Amino acid sequence: MSTDTSTATEASLPGRPPVTPPADWTMPTATRWTLDNGLTVLAYDVPGQYVLSVRLAVPALPSQEPQEREGVLGILAHTFDEGTEEHSAEDFADLLERSGAALGSSSSEHGVIFDLDLPRTRWDEGMTLFGECLRHPAFPDDEVARAVRRRLADIEQEKVDPRSRASREFASVFYTPDSRVSRPGGGSAASVRTITAQDVREFYRRHIGPVGSTLVVAGDLSAGPAGEPAVDVLATAERIFGAWAAQPDPVVAPQQPQRAADATKIVLLDRPGSVQSELYVGCLGPDHDVEGGWAAYQVLGFVLGGAPQARLDAVLREEKGYTYGVRAGFVPRSKDGIFLSSGSVRSEVTVDALRLLLEILANARDGFTEKELRSGADFMRMTAPSRFATADDLASEAAGLALEGRDTGWSQQLLDDLGRLTTTDLDSAYERVPVGEWTIVVVGDAQVYREGVEALGAGPVEVRPA
Amino acid sequence: MPLDYRISERTLANGLRVVVNEDHNVPTVTVNLWVNVGSRHEATGHTGFAHLFEHLMFQGSANVASGEHFALLMDQGGRLNATTWFDRTNYFETVPTGALDLALWLEADRHGRLLAALSQENLDNQRDVVKEEKRQRYDNQPYGHAIADMYATVFPVGHPYHHSTIGSMEDLDEASLEDVRSFFSEHYGPNNTVITLAGDVTPEEGFAAVERYFGGLPASAAARREPVEPLPPLDEPVRLERREDVPSDRLYLCFRLPVDGTDEFFAASMALDVLGGLATSRLYKRLVRREHLANSLHAAAWGLVDGVSLGFISVDVADGVNPNRAEAALTEELDRFALEGPTAGELEAVMAQNERGWLQHLASLDERADAICGNTLLHDDPQFINTILDRLGAITGEQVKQAAATYLRPRNRAVVAYLRAEPPAGEEPVEPVTDLPSGLSQQAAVVDKEDR
Repeated sequence: MSTDTSTATEASLPGRPPVTPPADWTMPTATRWTLDNGLTVLAYDVPGQYVLSVRLAVPALPSQEPQEREGVLGILAHTFDEGTEEHSAEDFADLLERSGAALGSSSSEHGVIFDLDLPRTRWDEGMTLFGECLRHPAFPDDEVARAVRRRLADIEQEKVDPRSRASREFASVFYTPDSRVSRPGGGSAASVRTITAQDVREFYRRHIGPVGSTLVVAGDLSAGPAGEPAVDVLATAERIFGAWAAQPDPVVAPQQPQRAADATKIVLLDRPGSVQSELYVGCLGPDHDVEGGWAAYQVLGFVLGGAPQARLDAVLREEKGYTYGVRAGFVPRSKDGIFLSSGSVRSEVTVDALRLLLEILANARDGFTEKELRSGADFMRMTAPSRFATADDLASEAAGLALEGRDTGWSQQLLDDLGRLTTTDLDSAYERVPVGEWTIVVVGDAQVYREGVEALGAGPVEVRPA
Repeated sequence: MPLDYRISERTLANGLRVVVNEDHNVPTVTVNLWVNVGSRHEATGHTGFAHLFEHLMFQGSANVASGEHFALLMDQGGRLNATTWFDRTNYFETVPTGALDLALWLEADRHGRLLAALSQENLDNQRDVVKEEKRQRYDNQPYGHAIADMYATVFPVGHPYHHSTIGSMEDLDEASLEDVRSFFSEHYGPNNTVITLAGDVTPEEGFAAVERYFGGLPASAAARREPVEPLPPLDEPVRLERREDVPSDRLYLCFRLPVDGTDEFFAASMALDVLGGLATSRLYKRLVRREHLANSLHAAAWGLVDGVSLGFISVDVADGVNPNRAEAALTEELDRFALEGPTAGELEAVMAQNERGWLQHLASLDERADAICGNTLLHDDPQFINTILDRLGAITGEQVKQAAATYLRPRNRAVVAYLRAEPPAGEEPVEPVTDLPSGLSQQAAVVDKEDR
């Protein structure tokens, strides 16, 4: 029964086919308006996308939270739809779910983004509800208290998840205590526990409003063949948000985080009995405005740790079998960023995995090949049509960029830059990264590898309880 | 009103079913293959093998070097991966239109000529990678074994779904080159595969391209066995408790549901939505919003084909609350729902959310190709994505109530409880729930032990 089909049918496979280069593709562009109250409105017409994605990006920042109330923005983002001046939390959820819409939110150092996804056929009623909860949220006492309890439970979960734990420790070691990003965006147990509904209402009153904010709508907005009317984004934006009064506090730029002077060190978070070690290795990296452009760093991330054939996984996964995968990439902040590599390896190979990882990243200073450049740049460039194909993809990209004061023209520029990069650009971009000044966090069974890690000489080693 | 995605289908002489969804909005094509083999086909002592095998499909074939599959496609702007599940294994990539032939050539080579490149070195390497995947996703995570515990508790020993797709370390260690060869010969071949192309390609172009690369492959896969006998709902509750270092007590209530693709399954799935799938769901309102017994609550129905599907409700019990109180509230609501059925408003919300969920799912070529391919392979229904919303819309409240009464009563549940090693001071000790027949708890624990 077990005939080997490889020999039987070899002849029937044609030779490896050539690839036709893709036609030029450009990012969809937005129609842009600015309402009298300062709200920017962007509309992307994406044919065939019948679920519309709406994003409201507001420059309200975690760095504006009172330190003893850190996490208040996160609680606000989780409770903005839990009741309004007109409807109780349960009634509002009922109206929303019956309209077929879904709400969500996310926050970062750059601000908060409120999400609405809804079938195009439900545009008017969905947007009416979106406006109601964003302009007249009630933040009921019991709903805020519930969100606080939920966040406290999440904090406990994050502590035991190796990756979240590593990420949190890394931020606190890498940044100065004055930098907001040294602490969890969603707040700590101590600060979250004190947050009241009044705190949330006050933060909302002062910081959530149209000034500096951007409303993004993406999806199929044109009139349909069966007589469906076009979606009038501007008219709806005016109806829902036109009379929204400016927030009283001035919009400020995100805080510029500072690397700690003693960040070069290795922290072993001890978790006896762990079957794996979570590695989190980083140094200072560039921000989006880096000299020479961001495109080179997209390619470097891909070449070093963005694929199974990238330099890290080629050795750590495909050759050694130490890991399911190690990723490397550049995380931009409002000023500078982090060059981060992370992944988990089985405990007993921790020292060798860390040694290889540091060696690969150091040796990359010797330069990158033309083949690597092409594969990274072509991958980033040619995946763009599929990476930005859905309304959701496009709206999320536009909203994130809006908080940085950019638009998707910047994304297009990046694609153009990718096509012009040389290996010299890659080499000098990597030259700017202070490779070697590592902050390293390892979550796992420290006794298994403590001595070996010390012997690597990559920095002072400290063992802390996890 | 049915949706109108353009779907064309053809079957090659060697049995390969080809489905094309033409859509020129984006200059890319998604290639998606479903092979009718999953962890349900694994024999005792070979758990985790279907997934390990899937990894080997990236390590080279007769005309492709190890690791080249990823590199060749990514160099052309392809995004790709593969997944293994109880019922099937799937392989997929989304490529710029001009790389469609390359993608098909690569797929045809590994789906027809894998063994030519097989080596002990590749097997050993990917075995290690898969073991790290298991450690990362399950062994080194809080509640990481809960899913495997659910399967082992709700499905009997010897059932195709009793063991998890990731399998056991011992079985992975035992996998041999001969296992790989016989698995390939038995399960892989055009007659056990569906290929779907979605995107910037016409049906004629798509059929011709697939014929070009797959047409020469023989119908090599063995015939499929019939699905196993339907598994009736549990008629007495079963329970497995673990005391572990977890941040909060968590309960998983598992139920045997009817097989996927049937109106009865859809009705049971909607019943779980009404109970726990939405922010307005009954259990969410009572346990999370009103009585603060739980921090969060989720419900889901996973459609499966071998005689049974899986439904479950998971509850993160709030601090200081005895998990039995949360479970008692839950079972009370299950009983009430089985008697009352859904209100018109509840059904409306479930349908409205289903509609958006499906439209959003189908908005991306990747997800759309996957839905078409899966429903063609497992349910012989290439038009599924066009008709599913109408089918769901035709399910009545009475059908939902009937499904809840048949499959989602408290006595139908298998409970997997992950409890903190030591209850915090001030919390009442956990006593066994009152409706659990003596002896069953221990039996479930033994069942689980055999599994690992």
